Amino acid sequence: MKKLLFALTILLTVVSCKESDKKETTGEQEKNMVVNVYTHRHYEADQQLFKMFEDQTGIKVNVINSNADELIQKMSMEGKQSPADVLITVDAGRLTRAKEQNLLQAVNSEILDNAIPSHLKDMDNQWFGLTKRARIIAYAKDRVKPEELSTYEDLASDKWRKKLLIRSSSNIYNQSLLASIIVHNGEAEAKKWAEGIVKNMARSPKGSDRDQVKAVVAGEGDLAIVNSYYIGQMLNSSDPEEVETAGKIGLFFPNQDGRGTHMNVSGAGVAKYAPNKENAVKFIEFLVSEEAQKIFAHSNYEYPVISSIDPAGLLMEWGDFKEDSLLLSKLGENNKKAVLIFDEASWK
Amino acid sequence: MKQAGSSDIFSIKYRLERLKRDSNKWSIFTLAIILFIALPVISIGVKLFAGPGETWGHIVDHLLPDYIGNSLFLVVVCSILVLIMGVSTAWLVARFEFPMREQMEWLLILPLAIPSYIVAYAYAGLFDYGGSMDLIFRWFGWDFIRIDIMNKTGLAFVLSISLFPYVYVSSRAFFLNQANNLLEASKMLGVGEVRSFFKLMLPLARPAIIAGLILVLMEVLNDYGAAQYFGVNTFTTGIFRAWFSLEEPETAVYLSALLIVIVFALILIEKWQRRNIKVSNSKSNITYIHRKKGSAWMQFFILLAVLIPVILGFFIPLVQLGYWAILTAHNVFNMDFLMLSLQSFGIAFITALITVIVATLLIYFSKWSFLGFIKSIARLGILGYAIPGAVIAIGIMIPTLAFDKWLINTLDYLFSIKTGLLINGTLVALVYAYCVRFLAVAFNPIESTSLKVNNTIPDSSKMLGVGNLKTFFKIEFPLIKTGIFSALILVFIDVLKELPLTLILKPFHVNTLAVKAYEYASDEMVMEAAIPSLFIIFTAALPVIFLNRLLIKK
Repeated sequence: MKKLLFALTILLTVVSCKESDKKETTGEQEKNMVVNVYTHRHYEADQQLFKMFEDQTGIKVNVINSNADELIQKMSMEGKQSPADVLITVDAGRLTRAKEQNLLQAVNSEILDNAIPSHLKDMDNQWFGLTKRARIIAYAKDRVKPEELSTYEDLASDKWRKKLLIRSSSNIYNQSLLASIIVHNGEAEAKKWAEGIVKNMARSPKGSDRDQVKAVVAGEGDLAIVNSYYIGQMLNSSDPEEVETAGKIGLFFPNQDGRGTHMNVSGAGVAKYAPNKENAVKFIEFLVSEEAQKIFAHSNYEYPVISSIDPAGLLMEWGDFKEDSLLLSKLGENNKKAVLIFDEASWK
Repeated sequence: MKQAGSSDIFSIKYRLERLKRDSNKWSIFTLAIILFIALPVISIGVKLFAGPGETWGHIVDHLLPDYIGNSLFLVVVCSILVLIMGVSTAWLVARFEFPMREQMEWLLILPLAIPSYIVAYAYAGLFDYGGSMDLIFRWFGWDFIRIDIMNKTGLAFVLSISLFPYVYVSSRAFFLNQANNLLEASKMLGVGEVRSFFKLMLPLARPAIIAGLILVLMEVLNDYGAAQYFGVNTFTTGIFRAWFSLEEPETAVYLSALLIVIVFALILIEKWQRRNIKVSNSKSNITYIHRKKGSAWMQFFILLAVLIPVILGFFIPLVQLGYWAILTAHNVFNMDFLMLSLQSFGIAFITALITVIVATLLIYFSKWSFLGFIKSIARLGILGYAIPGAVIAIGIMIPTLAFDKWLINTLDYLFSIKTGLLINGTLVALVYAYCVRFLAVAFNPIESTSLKVNNTIPDSSKMLGVGNLKTFFKIEFPLIKTGIFSALILVFIDVLKELPLTLILKPFHVNTLAVKAYEYASDEMVMEAAIPSLFIIFTAALPVIFLNRLLIKK
């Protein structure tokens, strides 16, 4: 019995601590010194940036970290009562979906208008790109010559039979890539492409982008389609084996003679019912400031969206390339079509 | 005709009267608890009437065969592996004396401390290009050996080694408490060790073993992280695909309803199979099993056999994680981390306590109610375990948000008080969801120990005019204490590891170790996920050792 009482006391203390925590938040909210962020990004760089923003403005950043799909679902269920001020995702497709579900609002900000190129944001200013990532080809230096590579379309041709590594179609970056192909080449061609890729797969899709790179080095295939910053992260990994592995592959930016390499953004929008709208706008403006963009580029190897700073360090070494300037909202509009085509092509 | 009609009315009237006669306040309490637990499931069920989304046909054509095939494969292979590992280790530990036996008793539960998706990451990392095994092979000059674990079979293996302790725990409890009398009887009749195990112990232990197995299978069907990473399409990955990639929550609900039907079918088939078997336990003299001591060689082999699952399910992932932790400690470990662990620990503890109380109430209230059907309805309470965490989260949000909004409007209308959401986004919703999800985990050990309590003592106590509650605290509670403590610890560990539901429902400011580990892993920083994972393992391992102390003292 004594033990039970003891446990109950602890329980009550813990619960009362939580209660006081909660009161603190409401207090903060009254003073409007908070911004509530729903984000799919959970990099160390982001935490560093949130801290910087808090120090500079005194506005506290509250974070809920989850999958963007779940965050969107949560926001739509919470409706008018949603505490969310800002939604951050790692792709344009989900931002478009949030916009279609009426969860975002238009923002008039000169800073954002001037800083971000128009194809990297929403037409109605409901969301804004924060960082860019390129979906590129990683090839085995000892088996593939860069001259043999050209376009995404070429990867579906017979010469790469059983040579290609790419992850599952449930991955949003693959969905966006196929969506871009639907927009550029039409649905029928896109389906043919997906079927060609499935035929060329060296193995059934599994694992992460990093795993595809490792499989190339292990000799399971010759090429992998991956996002650029993963290579950067591998080259700076804590595991010496991973650094060595990443050193053995070459990078190729496809479609340079045509539309350019497929780009996606990680972006943010202000929630429709944001209780702290002003802070939300300030927060997004901060994220496209030069100092913030530098941190994105330096510690996470993503390309900055603003043109006033250069992609630093490693990104510099990879050199300039032509980017696909497709309106990113198109990716969201064609996302579902892309998933259906993947299933029809049996791309797992 | 008239005659028949009147007899119909008579029977309805009769039934109603009987219902009135047999129902008591306990029946009402039971129904209230079940409603509380079933509310999220009902909320989702209601959505079924809306019909599936337009891509349902597409899913049936292109994906469903794969989902059913893979899920069935996992169910069958995992059942076999888990039964072999769980039952044999339980029997060896309960029946034989060998060196380090006492340590093995709790070591065998430890694989439960590692979330299965972390085990999956660890094994993938181990056999990866540049992974530890790969380096070892290279060192021996066996460059040609590459073991690919990232497939269906690998997934079944990973899930089995991380989940077999459910079967181990439930069958060991049976062997310890029930086996002695039976064994003595069979020995007296001259039946050998092996034969009495297969002919006697195994059939009798079946309810206990099956209870553990059903927990394993629900976890297997529910797994998202590991299946997703290994590229195996199962029902649960399908639910996520339909919901998010195809943007059709209604279709996802259909898939999860199908999954629930499958789980229910499994449970019913098992019930039907043993409909005629009535296990009557001799309760008068529960004596602890006498352990047999074999030759030195035999002892060595037993130790080896018991060690293998522990090494596979605990030490190998632990060493891999430890190696990664050393590589990444400078990035990850800091003061915030300790706070995070404390927070995780606190949430898991509160939830475990509440869930166990709800489970105990449910079991005893339904016992004290005279209505027959209440007992079968009470089992509905454990359905939550079969539903994917993300779906439960939505099921929780539907009714609590409705309540919150109603409350906000009423308060505003009546008293002009403006409030935010009171349940959603707070610990209340999170703990509620955990409770729904993990009630089964608490229900099974408590129920199985409560079934072993001889009814004559509580019955005579009640005949002497002592109330149900007092009888429970004075007589039954001390007898089922071990069941309650096992339930506490199992729920505690499960909450520590829980991921999808926590991601959706967790309040601002609150973070858990599992969420932290996932954040790293989903950013493809699996190595950085090692430290939070190790923290989960250690926080979960301590109560396991405590539980075992408790059992030994008894």
